[in-house]
Amino acid sequence: MAGSLIKIQETIVSSSTASVSLVGIDSTYDVYKVVISDIQPTTDNRNLLYRVTKSGSSQSDSEYDNAGKSLRTASSFFNSSGNNATSVSFAFSLGNNTGEKANAVLYLFNFANASEYSYATVESNFLDVTPELLGYQGGVVHTVASASDGVNFTLASSDNFANGSTFVLYGLRK
Amino acid sequence: MATLEELTATAQAEIDAKKTANGGDGMFAQVNNDRREFTDAEYDQAVTDLANSKYDEQENGYKRARQEAYLPLAEQLDMQYWDGVNGTTLWADHIEQVKTDNPKPV
Repeated sequence: MAGSLIKIQETIVSSSTASVSLVGIDSTYDVYKVVISDIQPTTDNRNLLYRVTKSGSSQSDSEYDNAGKSLRTASSFFNSSGNNATSVSFAFSLGNNTGEKANAVLYLFNFANASEYSYATVESNFLDVTPELLGYQGGVVHTVASASDGVNFTLASSDNFANGSTFVLYGLRK
Repeated sequence: MATLEELTATAQAEIDAKKTANGGDGMFAQVNNDRREFTDAEYDQAVTDLANSKYDEQENGYKRARQEAYLPLAEQLDMQYWDGVNGTTLWADHIEQVKTDNPKPV
């Protein structure tokens, strides 16, 4: 159905930025979609970190669980999982050489529901520092039963995103 | 190996040096399309994140490096087959090389 995917926010990094938040999730839509593309750290070998925001503030409590599978071109696949972490990653050891980028699509569920946890399904692909192409498929949950109004992305070791890193938030019309 | 407290102190010094108030280039957050320097709370979180990254790398970096260096399981099974046929030690040599190249920190 035409017009079902509604763009809410778009942020393209154009100067040194260590943290990007897409805020604007409310009960208007049941499911939200985040598309991130051309993500690159300014320093080699950095993980992309994901958190939710509540009232616009990134949540760094130890309430993130994740489970996923990393599909690799040059080596064995491996499972990635964690409980009660302060953030989660679905794009690891990102490189910063030409062409080494990360891309991901997340679907966000129950974010606006104050009595439910904030879930996300994730799929990503990226060229890591090796460089080796990896694909990742998995899910994340922030196990706090309160409304979340957005998502926040940073890089490990407080690195900056390279110019051109793009973050877009969509709502899926009910 | 350094303790988390020691690494936090190192991280604090590194993040403090980045603050514009201290002559650094600053750390910036972009919330939707508004770009601004980190708040004090965000700088504090950056210290925690950096310290945790350093600690994780110290404790688990060698595990990830080994995981990346190990050949795909199919190739390892092939090595084991030919080791059985030829009496070689291709597989054990590979595993040992990966462990040697990525030692567990002491």
